[in-house]
Amino acid sequence: MATMKIKAKEKDGIIKTKIQIKHKMMTYKQAIKKGVDANFITYIIAKVGEKIVYELSPSQFLSKNPVLKFKFYGNKGEVLEIEWRDLSGEKVVESKKIK
Amino acid sequence: MNRRKFLTLSVATAMVLPLGAWATDYRTLKPTAWTAKKVDDAVKALYGDVELIESSDLVVKAPKVATGAVPITIQTSIQAKSVSLFQDVNPESAVATWTVPEDGIVDYRLKIKLRQTENPAVVSVVVEGRDGKFYTAHTVVTVAGATCEG
Repeated sequence: MATMKIKAKEKDGIIKTKIQIKHKMMTYKQAIKKGVDANFITYIIAKVGEKIVYELSPSQFLSKNPVLKFKFYGNKGEVLEIEWRDLSGEKVVESKKIK
Repeated sequence: MNRRKFLTLSVATAMVLPLGAWATDYRTLKPTAWTAKKVDDAVKALYGDVELIESSDLVVKAPKVATGAVPITIQTSIQAKSVSLFQDVNPESAVATWTVPEDGIVDYRLKIKLRQTENPAVVSVVVEGRDGKFYTAHTVVTVAGATCEG
């Protein structure tokens, strides 16, 4: 289940980034209805080397399979590393070279 | 430790901590903010008793009428420390908090779940500026049709 789609493209020194995380984002209410445990992403961080470029602490109200778009200053060829954690304690790290 | 010493110490620690913290996980840092039922309470739990300034430099975009997940765009030229997103129709108010890195660009897009209600949903954004002031902006979304319920 744990997969991420990452796109990062450089233009004029600004990296446009789009991430999609495959996640059910089960809210507490939906979980009660379905009789399962609530589970949603609680923390996302993106880094280039040691530098933090994006950091998000979301709640249960992000959409299912959330798509996040953001921009930051950077260079071509650097490696963008994205990490997320969810309520069940799952932790996923994936990286992608900036195009 | 007498009371005065304790107070000075705690103030000193409170001032040092935010600077020392590189990565800020607001969920563990401010757990009460995420269970608050009202926007005002959530803002209070997250930032304390602060004065919010309505700002035109802060842009919150959302469709007027939305079905399904609601796309939200947040853009600002304000030098921000953190950005928070709230809404008033789901059971809890807080949606997300970004920690903005230094020289970070605030141009965030994401989709959120909003419950369908009779009154349109008010989506508010609070920006904690690097100048220590707090800015806010709102937008109104009418949720039509079945979306993922909160």
